[in-house]
This record gives sequence, structure tokens and C-alpha cells, in this order.
Amino acid sequence: MPFALEAVSTSVPVVENVQLATRTYRVRIECPQIARQVVPGQFLMLKLAGNDDPLLGRAFALYDTVDDASGQPAMVDIVYLVMGKMTARLARYQPGQMLDVWGPLGNGFEVPECDRLIMVAGGIGQTPMLALGKEYLGGRSYGQPARSVHQPQHVSLLYGVRSADLVAGEADFRAAGIDLKLASDDGSVGHHGFVTELLAHTLEETTGQRRQVVCCGPEVMMERVAEVCHSAGVPCQVSLETPMACGIGICFSCVAKIRQPDGSWDYRRTCVEGPVFDAQAIEW
Amino acid sequence: MDLSVSLGRLRLPNPVMVASGTFGYAREMQGLVDLGRLGGILPKTITKQPRPGNAPWRTIETPAGMLNSIGLDNDGIDSFLEKLMPYLASLGVPIVVSVAGRSADEFVELAQQLDGVTGVAAVELNISCPNVSGGVDFGTDPAMCEDLVRRCREATEVPILAKLTPNVTRIADMARAASAGGADALSMINTCLGMAVDWRNRRPMLGNVMGGLSGPAIKPIALRCVYQARQVTDTPIIGIGGIANINDVMEFLVAGATAVQLGTVNFYHPRASMEVLDALPGALEELSAGSVTEVVGTLNTEKK
Ligand SMILES: Cc1cc2nc3c(=O)[nH]c(=O)nc-3n(C[C@H](O)[C@H](O)[C@H](O)COP(=O)(O)OP(=O)(O)OC[C@H]3O[C@@H](n4cnc5c(N)ncnc54)[C@H](O)[C@@H]3O)c2cc1C
Ligand SMILES: Cc1cc2nc3c(=O)[nH]c(=O)nc-3n(C[C@H](O)[C@H](O)[C@H](O)COP(=O)(O)O)c2cc1C
Ligand code: FES
Repeated sequence: MPFALEAVSTSVPVVENVQLATRTYRVRIECPQIARQVVPGQFLMLKLAGNDDPLLGRAFALYDTVDDASGQPAMVDIVYLVMGKMTARLARYQPGQMLDVWGPLGNGFEVPECDRLIMVAGGIGQTPMLALGKEYLGGRSYGQPARSVHQPQHVSLLYGVRSADLVAGEADFRAAGIDLKLASDDGSVGHHGFVTELLAHTLEETTGQRRQVVCCGPEVMMERVAEVCHSAGVPCQVSLETPMACGIGICFSCVAKIRQPDGSWDYRRTCVEGPVFDAQAIEW
Repeated sequence: MDLSVSLGRLRLPNPVMVASGTFGYAREMQGLVDLGRLGGILPKTITKQPRPGNAPWRTIETPAGMLNSIGLDNDGIDSFLEKLMPYLASLGVPIVVSVAGRSADEFVELAQQLDGVTGVAAVELNISCPNVSGGVDFGTDPAMCEDLVRRCREATEVPILAKLTPNVTRIADMARAASAGGADALSMINTCLGMAVDWRNRRPMLGNVMGGLSGPAIKPIALRCVYQARQVTDTPIIGIGGIANINDVMEFLVAGATAVQLGTVNFYHPRASMEVLDALPGALEELSAGSVTEVVGTLNTEKK
């Protein structure tokens, strides 16, 4: 089990904190020990240093790492949506203010060899996809030593949002060479409808190729993506966003129903056994 | 500086332990904490049979605290002894195994099964978990509590700790009862029963409706319980409840605890136990004490 053997727990300064879209921000923190190790799909826990309310840390997926002047990964970017107690305060943080951080945590994505990597995101579930796309397109490497990956011929991101103003990081995805297709509930950008419709269409178009789907977003959407992939016979990995209190496996609050080899299910901790699971292993 | 403490027959190198259910099975923390420095480790409570635990949501944050209803999710004692105990025993730290039975017989059986196992320094009877039906009467009925502790004590050689719930009218009665039963020490407190409501959907926030409150929010209650127990018994007390830093630790020692367990803080500040250990000698010096024992229960309540 990938316990947080290499994780560090420390206080780090905010380098910058900028708005990307409606209620959506990117915070950059300086933490070389984490930046050097973290791989796409892993997460960090962030806490507002010195605060008892909110008391607990919050999990945030790696958006990307950023190098220092010497070309070594030294900073971590997190993209977050303002939801409640913690993120509302974080949105007002200025450079130099401190955050407690522990990580990197969880297993991360590990994509088998394929021709097409199809990433599917709903809302703020897009955050793990930039680094993953970059890595599989050969644009950036992650981990210490750097992970070597099989490069697919094509990497796409099907990104569903409620409305156009919530699209975050579009320029980052395009700059990375990721084929970006948008869908919106209200039709204000891209396909008018669900991202799962885009997925079904993409899978039809690419029949015969070796495809791999990875997905992150609201649970209902991930369940639907898993169904679409299953009926098309395409392997799918999902990254769960189960509420977490510690992120390191010691509280047993983040459980999901995971299918066991004997066909039964058991509650398993998503922070240490996930957050990435094979979609078929999840009892939705 | 002498940091060692004695809790009845249990001797600890220092008074800083980590509480059951808030430290996994310790292996999860080996990258973040120097486990060998801890005064004692309490793995998550084990039961006779495996338990899947309660449905999510299992935890909810509240101001300066959290509610949990994990429901004693564990794989049972046999699996614990086979898969988890060897690692714990290898750490060279006193391991206090927390157990919960549904009946007195089950508690006794669990204690017997642990008696003599390499690495097991003591058994903590979790007679106070608010998240399971059954078991909890031992924590609220003094006669049942005394009888249970006595039976476990008589059936084994291993030191026995009784973990008390604050969810009673008179904690002193429970402390007296567990002491009379022969507990080596009293661990107090477990979580305070509470709940959280989502009014818009008219739903409880926790899958199990009610849960146990922990964290800084309960520290004043825990201090009061330790203080009240200290008035009625000489049995050593382990202070638990909202301890997050060295000041909290010192408050519990002065109020009457001989040792402490850090709980919820492990979730939001994984290195808290190490920081407390770093600061402990200096804090004792500040009180001109040469040992932990010298400050225990030195609270002065005389009117000024
Ligand atoms: C592995 C993982 C990765 C994640 N990655 C990201 C990421 O990259 N970006 C990101 O933005 N988020 C991410 N999250 C989610 C993140 O951890 C937080 O849950 C989120 O930011 C909300 O935190 P908050 O403190 O702002 O909101 P909270 O105050 O915790 O509220 C969260 C939600 O619960 C509701 N709620 C809370 N308390 C109550 C109450 N008492 N009554 C009714 N409703 C309530 C709020 O209205 C809100 O909708 C991730 C989560 C996981 C598990
Ligand atoms: C998520 C969670 C799980 C817990 N599980 C157990 C348990 O299995 N056995 C037990 O005796 N106490 C359990 N407790 C109670 C703690 O050991 C401790 O008594 C309580 O949380 C008060 O201390 P704190 O405020 O420092 O957390 C649990 C507490 C929490 C928050
Ligand atoms: S969040 Fe605590 S065990 Fe996973």
C-alpha cells in the first residue's frame, strides 16, 4: 500500500495566488521537497497555518510543478474552486502568507501503454489532468527519479463545465498540446450538454485504437463515464474526491466501497489505496 | 530530565502517546514521524470479529473540532495479530492495544488473546466508543465497569487501562469504579457525543446521525474530567482530548494526568507529537521540575 513514506509535513509560503475563472484560483507554493517527488494524480493536504477553524487540512490534486532558476522543480501549483470555509479564506491569501502542507499523498495515475489517452473532467475535477497530459505528451517529467512513461499518439481532455465563465486553465491545456474539447450545461461554450456525450462520441470515432480513459469530477459523472467506458470495452481509471480528514491513512474517514477479488466489497481508504482506482473496482 | 512515567504496572519512556483511532496502525505515519521517540502507541481499536464500520460520511468538521462515526472499522483481532502486530512490535515502543467487546466475556477473551504477545505492553479497554451499539454500558454503569475491569485484570497478566467516556453525569463515579476494578490507569476522555445538521436538506451531516466530537473544542471538558477524577482516585490518569501542543500537555499534567495521548491533532498536524516531545524538557524546566512526575497533579485551587 502506498503509505506516505516519502511525504513531508512543513509550512510553506504562498508565492502567488491568481484568479483563473469565476470562483477559481491558482495558488503557487514553494515546497521543493514535494515538487521534486510528486506525480500526476497525487495530492497534497493544505491547511491555513495557525487556524483552528477550519481545523482540518483539505486535499488538493497536483495541478503542476514549477522549476526554480536552476531548472529543478521547486514550486507546486494547486487550482481550487471557492466552496466553503477553507477555500474562501485561501482566495484572499497574499504572497508570503504561510500554509501548512503535507504530501505528496496517494497513488497517482499510472496509465498503461495506449494509442490515445482520453482525459475526462467535470468542473474542478480538471485539476489532475494538466500534469498528466504534459507527462504523457513528453512535455514534462515528474517524480524522483523521473517516471518514464509510454507516450500515446494523442492526448485529449474532454472538459465539462456548468458555464463558460468556469473554464479554468484553457491556455495551459492548449499550450501543453492537449486536444481540448469543452462541454457546458448551458451551451455557453463547446458542446451543449454533458461531457459524457463527448466521450461516447470520441469512443465511437476511435474504435479499433488502444484507448485509455482517466476521469475526475462529481461522483455521478464519474459513474456515468465508467458505464460508457465499460460498455465500449475501454479501460477507465477514476480519481475519487471522497471527503478526507487526514489524507494519510490514519482516520478511516475517506472510505469508498471497493470490490475485492472474491466479488464482495469492502470499505477502503481512498487516501492511501487511491485516490485513483480502476473504475471497475468501484461499487458506486 | 527524567521523562519516564509509570502507569500502574505499565512503564513508559515518556508521557507522550498517540490515541487509538487517530494514528492508524502506526505504519501509515512512519514517513512523517520518528515512531521510536513516542512514549506509547495505541493502534486503532480492534474487535473480535471484523467490522466494516459505518457508512460515509464518517467525519464532519465543526468549529475547532470534528465529529466522527467511524464505527470501529477493523479486520478483527486475528488479522491484527497476524498482519499488524509484528510491525508494531518491531518499533521498540510500548504498544497499548485498544480493544472493544460486545460483552464482558468478549472483552476478557480479547485481553487474554493479547496477554503475552510480543510487543504488547498493555491493553486499553475501549468501554466508551459512542459509535457502536453494545459495549457502551460498561462506560456508563459504574458496577458493570468495575466488574469488567476486575474480570480482565484477573484473567490476564497484562496491564489494563480503562478508557472512559465523558458522556455520563458523574465522571468521578466511573473513575472510582474502574479504579476499584483494578485498572492500572484511566484513559480519559473518549469523544463527546454530538451531531451536525444540514438544515437546507433537513438531514443529519453524518451517515450515522450522531458521532463523537474531538479536537481543541473538547479540551476544557477533558481537563475538567481529569481534574474531577484526580479528586477521587490515586490511579494514574492519561489525559486525552484536544491536545495539540506543549501548553496543552502541561495543562493536563498539572491538572492531574501522568501521561497524555494526542488524537485529532495527528490528522491536521502530523508532526505534533514530535514537536511536543522536543518542547517537553524545556517546559518542565520552566516549572523547575526535574521529572514529569514532579508536576503531575500540582494544580493549586486555593482561593487567592
Ligand atoms: C483527492 C482530492 C483531491 C482534491 N482536489 C481538489 C482540487 O484540485 N481543487 C479543488 O478545488 N478541490 C479539490 N478537492 C476538494 C477539496 O479538498 C475541498 O473539499 C474543497 O476545496 C472544499 O473545501 P472548503 O473548506 O472550501 O469547503 P467546506 O467548508 O469544507 O465545504 C465543502 C462543501 O460542503 C458543504 N458543507 C460544509 N459544511 C457544511 C455544513 N455544515 N452544512 C451544509 N453543507 C456543508 C459546503 O457548502 C461545500 O459545498 C479535492 C478533494 C480530494 C479528496
Ligand atoms: C476519527 C476518530 C476515530 C477514533 N477512533 C477511536 C477508536 O477506535 N478507539 C478509541 O478508543 N478512541 C477512538 N477515538 C477517540 C480518540 O482516541 C480520543 O479519545 C478522542 O478523539 C479525544 O482526543 P482528541 O480530541 O485529541 O482527538 C477516535 C477519534 C477520532 C477523531
Ligand atoms: S483521510 Fe484519513 S484515512 Fe483517508
